[in-house]
Amino acid sequence: MNDDTPELPNTTRRRALMLGAVGAAAVVSIRPALASTAASISTCEIPVPDSGRAGSYIAADGTVVPAGTRGAFAPPGRPFKGEEVKTALAGGQLPGTNYEQSRAYTNYIRRLQSGTSGFTCFASLQMPRG
Amino acid sequence: MDDSRGDIVYRMARPETLKITHLDSFTAVFHRASGITHLVTSPVPEILAALGEAGMRRVDLMARLSVDYLLGDADEAALDARLDELVAAGLVAVA
Repeated sequence: MNDDTPELPNTTRRRALMLGAVGAAAVVSIRPALASTAASISTCEIPVPDSGRAGSYIAADGTVVPAGTRGAFAPPGRPFKGEEVKTALAGGQLPGTNYEQSRAYTNYIRRLQSGTSGFTCFASLQMPRG
Repeated sequence: MDDSRGDIVYRMARPETLKITHLDSFTAVFHRASGITHLVTSPVPEILAALGEAGMRRVDLMARLSVDYLLGDADEAALDARLDELVAAGLVAVA
């Protein structure tokens, strides 16, 4: 076995790391600031799509597409309540919809991002209760 | 020296339970089950990466960090403090 391994300068390969003082904190935990009382979950609403895109259609995968797009679904015409969406996400069906419509609408809801109307309601449905 | 903690094995929470995003000056660790976001600074991301799922004892973790990084303060008490924080936050489990 050849023991003549060259001495590689390792100061440039490893970066410095400090473990920190015993009293210091390296972790700050942020709890979600969403009130999830039973009342607010059942009455909060999720419009499909958001009002800024009212009238647009919903494709099967939940993306918002121009009205009249072939294969996409017309909007439901009324926002869904949190409790209704919670049931649909658990495998049920949104009221007043058939199977494909319900799936398209729930896919839209699953894609909601912060800033879009309905996001806070949707996020609060997923918070562990209590 | 009190080494009553020497045999504890620390392991990171399962990776699929976490979403880790590196930001400029810190790292955000979203813990899906609790919905809590932990903002962590160095050396926490490095410790989590070193622990991995297999887990290791404190002495092995210190050795691993010493190999991977230039440890300015290889102090066991400081490493214990970091590990205690991570266990309290639920990001590291003990066995």
